[in-house]
Amino acid sequence: MRLLVNEKEHELSPDPVESLAETLRMRLHLTGTKVACARGECGSCTVLLNGRAVYSCLTITNACEGASITTIEGLATPGALHPVQRAFIDHDAVQCGFCTPGQVMAAVALLAATPVPDESQIRRGLSGNLCRCGTYPRIAQAIRAVSGQLEATDGR
Amino acid sequence: MAADPTRRFISTTVEVEGREETKIVELPARTLTPWDADARLEIVGTAQPRVDARDKVTGAAIYTTDRLPPGLLHVVLVRSRVPRGRVKSIDLEAARRMRGVVDTLVFDDLPKDGKPIRAGGVRFLDPDVTYAGQPIACVCAESAAQARAAAAAVRVEYESLPFATTAEWAVMEGAPPVRAKGGNVSRSSPCTCKRGDADRGLAEAEVIVRGRYTVSSALHTAMEPHGAVAEWTGDQLTIHEGTQGVFAVRDEVATALGIPKSHVRVVMDHMGGGFGAKNHAASHTYAAALLARRTGRPVRCVLDRAGEQMDTGHRPGARLDVTLGARRDGQLTAIVVEALSDQGVSGWDSATCKIFHELYACPNVRTVERWAYTNTQAMAAFRGPGHTEGAFALERAMDDLARELGMDPLALRLRNYAETDQEKSRPYSGGNLQRCLEEGAKRFGWEERHARSSGKLGSESNYRIAPELDQTQHAGNSTLTPISPAGGPPRWRKGFGLAAQIWPSGGGPPAYATVRIHPDGSVDVLTGTQDLGTGARTILAQVAAEALGARLQDVRVILGDTERTPYTPNSWGSLTTPSVAPAVRMAAEDARDDLLEAASEILGVPVEHLSTRNGMIVPCTGAEAVPISQITAQLGDVTIMGNGSRGPNQRGVGLMTFGAQFAEVDVDTWTGAVRVVRLTAVHDVGRVLNPLLARSQLEGGILQGIGYALYEERVVDERLGLPLNANLHDYKIPTMSDVPAIDASCLDVVDTVANPVGARGLAEAPIIPTAPAIANAVVDALGTTLNDLPLTPWRVLAAIEK
Repeated sequence: MRLLVNEKEHELSPDPVESLAETLRMRLHLTGTKVACARGECGSCTVLLNGRAVYSCLTITNACEGASITTIEGLATPGALHPVQRAFIDHDAVQCGFCTPGQVMAAVALLAATPVPDESQIRRGLSGNLCRCGTYPRIAQAIRAVSGQLEATDGR
Repeated sequence: MAADPTRRFISTTVEVEGREETKIVELPARTLTPWDADARLEIVGTAQPRVDARDKVTGAAIYTTDRLPPGLLHVVLVRSRVPRGRVKSIDLEAARRMRGVVDTLVFDDLPKDGKPIRAGGVRFLDPDVTYAGQPIACVCAESAAQARAAAAAVRVEYESLPFATTAEWAVMEGAPPVRAKGGNVSRSSPCTCKRGDADRGLAEAEVIVRGRYTVSSALHTAMEPHGAVAEWTGDQLTIHEGTQGVFAVRDEVATALGIPKSHVRVVMDHMGGGFGAKNHAASHTYAAALLARRTGRPVRCVLDRAGEQMDTGHRPGARLDVTLGARRDGQLTAIVVEALSDQGVSGWDSATCKIFHELYACPNVRTVERWAYTNTQAMAAFRGPGHTEGAFALERAMDDLARELGMDPLALRLRNYAETDQEKSRPYSGGNLQRCLEEGAKRFGWEERHARSSGKLGSESNYRIAPELDQTQHAGNSTLTPISPAGGPPRWRKGFGLAAQIWPSGGGPPAYATVRIHPDGSVDVLTGTQDLGTGARTILAQVAAEALGARLQDVRVILGDTERTPYTPNSWGSLTTPSVAPAVRMAAEDARDDLLEAASEILGVPVEHLSTRNGMIVPCTGAEAVPISQITAQLGDVTIMGNGSRGPNQRGVGLMTFGAQFAEVDVDTWTGAVRVVRLTAVHDVGRVLNPLLARSQLEGGILQGIGYALYEERVVDERLGLPLNANLHDYKIPTMSDVPAIDASCLDVVDTVANPVGARGLAEAPIIPTAPAIANAVVDALGTTLNDLPLTPWRVLAAIEK
């Protein structure tokens, strides 16, 4: 099958029930996508499938023929971080960092669908992504910053 | 701390998570001038983004689970399905025949020379099982999927034995033995600790309150499961493991395998959280190391989520019977506690009662504590162990006392907080609990709380309940209405609560660091500590840059490698900052002094006229400043290196962190749902090295405290002895939707008594008062008693119906 990942095409023969998370991590060595539960409960493995956020641990690779996948490795362009990545750094929306790739992808998907999300939209958009370190307030802050809802000096 | 040149090694006492240990330490060769409140610091104390944040937001940061060397094999552990019994037979044939399976491992395959390997408090792969989820076999295959499939094909026959999965059950007369040897309580049980005469104190009391408080077993639930990747090169073993203690893992593995410590290298670069559960080598470590030796290939063992939740430790559930006696004016006269903790099958005696001796001034205290063993996974330290459980009981009891006295809960605390360490009759280095309480009350608006909230439920919150997320509204009403139909009692009730905290956080020796400056002026800091996500890597870079006069972006911190970095202790007990930062500062100053001597020679300026600042050598003569890189370039491979170590703590002083938290909650009396609307936290941790990261850590502790207060409860089936919620769906941790408006801050009072950097530890303190503050707010809202954590809807409804 052919899989388009971060705008690069791959020829793959995944196992019939292989998850997209496993394909990305074990076959393509794109280990930025993390697996913390492998059963769709935590969101660490969130990637974009044709621009929509999905749990890659519950997505079967064989069902992604022809689809365009974006992982955390595909967000930044050479020399420039994605604005969400920049905001996560500036607002300290990162602690251990293990859930972070999934949080960033969920935030990117939310902002693509809702450029200026209100509080409840931020909550709903990110509520499928668990963080045990407790970065939620900072993530919400980072999303507000990217969507222009913060004064430039606020947030620190 | 005055250095006596004739005595380089002295005995000293350090406190780790409340326990005291006597250690022999080497007095450092240098003495540091403490960075006091007037010190002109330019990098330390400023809000710097994490130095590793870029790697973490781009997916470049490599965690243990991401290490995929060529030829890698994968191990899955087969776990016991009975809580106590004996493996009669274990049939591996079907598994061995499956595609990709390379090797299997059971108890009989383990090396028989030397003592049995112990992991998680039991013998590794022991066929005599003492809890459900205990590993009994390993299956090793070419891929993780193949190993999983093969592990599922392993057939096990058990001979089941009677078991006990709760502490009450284990200590009952006639209870089945939990373990093969010894009784069902720890050897130190019952442990009685006394000050004064508690009976006399009760006799003197004008008001007495009694209560039974219970807390449930809680699970660490780090997002990255435990894991190790092991590889042998000849007789050298390298283990990558997401651990809080690379040196502890090295020592345990070397001992278990009977090989020299110098033959084991343990490396930890990034890890996905620990919270106390990742302090030791465990089954996954030994499985990877042994199977890598048997197969001659690199082997990876990363737990699945079920394994993570059922076999990596827990915060013990506990039951505390508390009696408080006080005079009418609120002065405590007696504190009496009887406590029973549920260790699981093994563990250390983490004291839930210690906080009763520490937080409040009371001449008469008696605590009796027992630690029961049960047929569940062994306990492990969990952020603020003991104090977090104890604080719930103590601070709930204090509110019960305030109510009985008709006193404001804040006034009762201000009447009783301890100004000195009563157990050891010594002062605290920074006894600022009073300021935390007062400052917190001011920020929260404690005095005017009722006026502010009247009739406007949740309206102060920046985080209003999103109607579409608020499932409680479906309980009978289609819109979120704070007021019930006319005539009935209001559906939603608002409450306010507070709680205080104390926690040992002074750190101590030994801890070492090395700083070296490369010819281009870039700087390496090498120290063996770990960054669990705390930000240790960043604050150590700040300290090194400050002390060296380097630019922060020129400093790289290399952590967690037993072969390449000098020793530091485990990252536990809130000790990384106070233990390691002074050693890093000393190493940087040592390097700076060498650099200045070299610069003096090159520039022809007396060394006493030179200093460093922001990457430059600055002559005080008014001559032009010269970049450090220019000096080091001229030195070439003549390398500037500095060494530092952590000196002993001062004697006769207690090094503690203090704090107070204030919570506002809305309680839905129809469904029992509790929503934390806002929470104010003020803690005293000494100097704040990085306010951006400090706030994150405070918020993190508070959010875990919210989970502990409202949602988190490990459930074990009493008939089968099996954990019922070993996953992230049924074991509830807070989500984005549960976050209140949090106002978290530190007093930022420099503590030069604690150490020359002026900072104490911050990691654990913020979780300690959160649950009692919330519970007190719920009790305030309902006017009924609620003494059991977590405050799940059914517990709240039961309390309302009482």
